[in-house]
Amino acid sequence: GAGDGRGVAKGSLDLIAYKNVNDIPPARELMIQIDQRNEAIILPLYGSMVPFHIATVKSVSSQQDNRTCYIRIIFNVPGAAVSPHDANTIKFQGAIYLKEVSFRSKDPRHISEVVNMIKTLRRQVASRESERAERAT
Amino acid sequence: MTDGPLYNSILLGGRGGTNSGQLRVHAGGIAWKKQGGGKVVEVNKGDIVGVTWMKIPRTYQLGIRTKEGVFYKFTGFRDQDVSSLTTYIQTNIGVTPEEKQLSVSGRNWGEVDLNGNMLTFVVGSKHGFEVSLADVSQTQMQGKNDVVLEFHVDDTTGANEKDSLVEMGFHIPNSNTQYVGDENRP
Repeated sequence: GAGDGRGVAKGSLDLIAYKNVNDIPPARELMIQIDQRNEAIILPLYGSMVPFHIATVKSVSSQQDNRTCYIRIIFNVPGAAVSPHDANTIKFQGAIYLKEVSFRSKDPRHISEVVNMIKTLRRQVASRESERAERAT
Repeated sequence: MTDGPLYNSILLGGRGGTNSGQLRVHAGGIAWKKQGGGKVVEVNKGDIVGVTWMKIPRTYQLGIRTKEGVFYKFTGFRDQDVSSLTTYIQTNIGVTPEEKQLSVSGRNWGEVDLNGNMLTFVVGSKHGFEVSLADVSQTQMQGKNDVVLEFHVDDTTGANEKDSLVEMGFHIPNSNTQYVGDENRP
């Protein structure tokens, strides 16, 4: 691919969400954010906003009991049946993977928005990548 | 100690989010006071074992590592603060601040570095994130390759974050030889 300045433009081997620290959008609040333009999710971990490329996300789900809401994000790890990282697995042998994170949220509406946005973004990126793969063959 | 540079609107980051306050670096160490009173963090010069600078979006973060293995993160420094405070710390605290780079690639694989109570996730020699094992209420092995850390849920710290971390799982492939046996349970 010629690269359109976006995330997985060059294929998953060069998975890059941001090139520069200043490209990360400023956080309004310490909460999960979705950066659609750069195809990344940004998670609040110990007071810092930490970016993850959408291609590392395997699934997302939420759960609500009473007034508390939980969200769980599961990441791709090697060994899964279909992992876009399989090439990376070989390249980065010995690495440890972040497999999942769960957050408790004060805002159920924000969480359902986040879940929807992550799902939509995953679909968009996946369909673009499969189109690209088809064109390449 | 009241000498030394004073910085306003410095955020102390940690479990629960961030709190804004005032940081003074003086010849005897550092002191941070929460705005409006309350929490105070004081670290004596002799207890400081490492100082780091990291560029984060829009600002700089000063990291103070203590002898006890605690890592304080102070955020909100301007470009010009970095060089002047570096010089001050070198001269008065006797520690040379190191520069750390934040990982922005968005990868979920890297190395895990355990130092005192801090678990740091390092992505290609850059800083990914860190969590404090002091806040872990339970550690579980899942299968042969997965470790799950459960975090205390704490409503009393004046948490200002909307979404709070409660659980984090790591996958350690068989090809990893760094952690074997009981060391899988940090």
